[in-house]
Amino acid sequence: MSSSSMKKDPALIPVITALWLALGLFVIYPFIKLLLTTFTVDGRFTMANMTLVFQNSYDRLAFVNSIWLAIAVAAMGTFLGFVFAFAVTRIKLPAPVRWFIAAVTVLPLISPPFTSSIALTLSLGPNGIILKFLGIPDFNIYGFWGTWISESLTYFPVAFLTITSVLACIDPNLEDAGLSLGGSPFKVFRTVTLPLTMPAIANAVLLLFACSLADFATPLVLAGHQFPVLPTQAYLQITGLYDLKGGAALSFALLVPALVVFFLQRFWVGRKNYVTVSGKSGAQTSIKGMGRAGETVVLAICAAVISFILFLYALILAGAVTKTWGLDNSLTLDSFTYVFTHGRKAMIDTLIIACVATPIGGFLAVCIAYVTQRKNFAGRALMEVVSLLNFALPGTVVGIAYIIAFNSGPIVLTGTMSILVAAYVFRYDSAGIRSVIASLQQIDPSLEEASLSLGATSVGTFRNVTLPLVIPALIAGMKYLFIHSMTAISATIFLVSVSWSLLTARILECMTELQFGNACAFSVVLILLVFGFNGMMTLAIRAAGFNYRGQGGNK
Amino acid sequence: MSRNHRGTFGLLTAMALVLVFCGGAFAATLNAYTVMPEKYASKVFEQFTKDTGIKVNFIRFSSGEALARLVAEKNNPQVDVLLGGPADVYTAGQKDNVFAVYVPKQQKLTPAEYRDPGNHWTGIGLIPLCFLTNTDFLKKNSLKAPAAWGDLLAPAYKNGLQMADARTSGTATERIYSLIAVYGVDGAFDYQKKLHKNVQLYTKSGAGGALPIAQGQAASGVFYLVDALDIQQQKYPVVISYPKEGVTFGIEATGMIAGAKHPEEAKKFIDWATSPKLGELFVSQKINYIPIVQGVKIQNPALDMSKVKLLKVGAEHKGDVRKKYVERWVNEVIR
Repeated sequence: MSSSSMKKDPALIPVITALWLALGLFVIYPFIKLLLTTFTVDGRFTMANMTLVFQNSYDRLAFVNSIWLAIAVAAMGTFLGFVFAFAVTRIKLPAPVRWFIAAVTVLPLISPPFTSSIALTLSLGPNGIILKFLGIPDFNIYGFWGTWISESLTYFPVAFLTITSVLACIDPNLEDAGLSLGGSPFKVFRTVTLPLTMPAIANAVLLLFACSLADFATPLVLAGHQFPVLPTQAYLQITGLYDLKGGAALSFALLVPALVVFFLQRFWVGRKNYVTVSGKSGAQTSIKGMGRAGETVVLAICAAVISFILFLYALILAGAVTKTWGLDNSLTLDSFTYVFTHGRKAMIDTLIIACVATPIGGFLAVCIAYVTQRKNFAGRALMEVVSLLNFALPGTVVGIAYIIAFNSGPIVLTGTMSILVAAYVFRYDSAGIRSVIASLQQIDPSLEEASLSLGATSVGTFRNVTLPLVIPALIAGMKYLFIHSMTAISATIFLVSVSWSLLTARILECMTELQFGNACAFSVVLILLVFGFNGMMTLAIRAAGFNYRGQGGNK
Repeated sequence: MSRNHRGTFGLLTAMALVLVFCGGAFAATLNAYTVMPEKYASKVFEQFTKDTGIKVNFIRFSSGEALARLVAEKNNPQVDVLLGGPADVYTAGQKDNVFAVYVPKQQKLTPAEYRDPGNHWTGIGLIPLCFLTNTDFLKKNSLKAPAAWGDLLAPAYKNGLQMADARTSGTATERIYSLIAVYGVDGAFDYQKKLHKNVQLYTKSGAGGALPIAQGQAASGVFYLVDALDIQQQKYPVVISYPKEGVTFGIEATGMIAGAKHPEEAKKFIDWATSPKLGELFVSQKINYIPIVQGVKIQNPALDMSKVKLLKVGAEHKGDVRKKYVERWVNEVIR
């Protein structure tokens, strides 16, 4: 999609150098260190660690399971994400309802993974509330089903955010044209709306596939021993058997499918032209919807999923305010008292880290997406791959790689805040990078060329033309990064230190110590914090006047 | 742009370093990892600060995670001491020279069998294994609390057991040592293959299955006494019992980290933790490790082991064979 007609400009060189420096230090360097740990013994190259992994049939099973699970989660999650995105962008709903749907959708994403897993266990696990209610005695949640349900619920908001940002930009005039030419609403949906959303769908599939592939917290709680998956195996290998080499080898097995999907998607999305923001559209009409039957189905699915999510969170809230869960159900605020005394440090640390990571990540996402999509330079594709590498690796392994790389040698960062910020930025920025790329792919380069040919500098063009157009995608990406900086655990469980602790680590702590009430209270506080800050971000953007209508930005 | 970018990270690093230095420059501090549950560890360190004036920054990990970190941080230790965790974790860590040699001032108060002959670690409490069973489940099936290892193989327990995963939990490896002491190596794995048919879930941490059992999601499991008593003290309908063939016990230990940045404070902590002060704290705060330092009286009848058959397996031996048994468990039992 890059436009070769763009002249090379001097501003590009320092930007690209800085990007490579950052990527080199926080992605490539730890990765190389990890490779050395995996493939060398006493300074000599060896494949012994890899062969050990693939000789073990349990590990081979984990490999196959991981792939199946990721495919299933990507399919289900993208489907749900699309249905929800369609509901909020293409069906006439009262504004509060729309806001409500969006808010509930974000719940699973902003809650620490084990809490939803625990709520799911309480409702569908042995003796679960829902099972008792339905009179199903023998449903075993541990294994594929539980993991699949939990991960689909946790990650479909990623698809929702990705697809919404693109669906919102599609000019309803195009759909109107289809309708006025006599197409049925469903036919228009199939031949106009759906193909235009394809890049977003492809991105969502890729993101979800990678999410599921690298998720270790959910399988840790729900997969049980019948359904081993690679990230959990790698984690257990490292934390349980202190076998860094075996764990690293297991995670390399994960890289292969992640990269295959990544290239597939590039090849597939890169072949079509999806330009919809052309700067040439007339006045906008209102959305027409897709006919009563279709809308009913969409809204019914939304209602069902939302009820289930709300039920799970009601359980968590109940857990936070009861004395002893399942035994003494009298109300108490003890758990919250605990959170605001013993948990205060973790709360403040987590907020500081997330607030520092988010702007850095947003800035980085725009830079990387812009230069890789709009500029021609050597190593462009490589930069895009490298920027997504930390995301493709299981978090556990990124954490271990960071410890190995930054514990000694030229750059010592262990025990600092920087290492946590870097881990979050370079791991969870991929969503931002992808969504900005997806939205750039929809913007006709001729808009930027027009600005350039009118004498604007490339920096000025970027600021006044491109940036306003990608703001919605960027905000989606930054929200995602912020949320993950507050809730992710897999990479940072190894990076918390005596000086910097994290809420998620404390929640995991309470879980392992059976302080269910405290864990729930922590989760509730964390969810409220994320919601509050997210709302503030949205308001700040509105106040700044980026009201996006698919017509080009109004700065 | 580029300068900004690098500047930001530079600034962050500088800020973080300033914070770390400020934290460390004014008062005597001690940095610690602990494997003890946070609610116990915070009481222990609070009391230590009261007694010595040394401020403690600590963070809690499972034993595997703590050791993985200590090994990874070997060249630049982030902490000065490790508190808690079974002794075999310490013997495993010695292979990577993670722990420093230090002889505590009152070493003689701890029996020689409960401390490292090379003085890398000292025991601070004993934790025997036990069965934890939901009493409602027993009533419903008109069963008695399990009193032999074989009792857990009964069909009534099908899909009803939760216990720790050997790959992450010291409780689970302790279970394997117990079974080997009772049945011999091959017999122990045969037993576990049969037991596996009744297991609903293997949990990451040793205490993980206790709450599901307390809430009736699972029927029974094998736990360290300290975790089982904790859930019982919360008034859940559970009963604690022991197999007549016997159980082994873990030695909860503490040790100083090699290359500690606050060596004086670390030594003071090891001295304090191996003196009767910590044992008395366990008793007064109802922290259910069985104290081993001489001169501490146990008050809780649940900690009286005179009627329980305790089997002895050396900690040295556990550290050496751990990995071999865990791999065998993965390949034979949970296959």
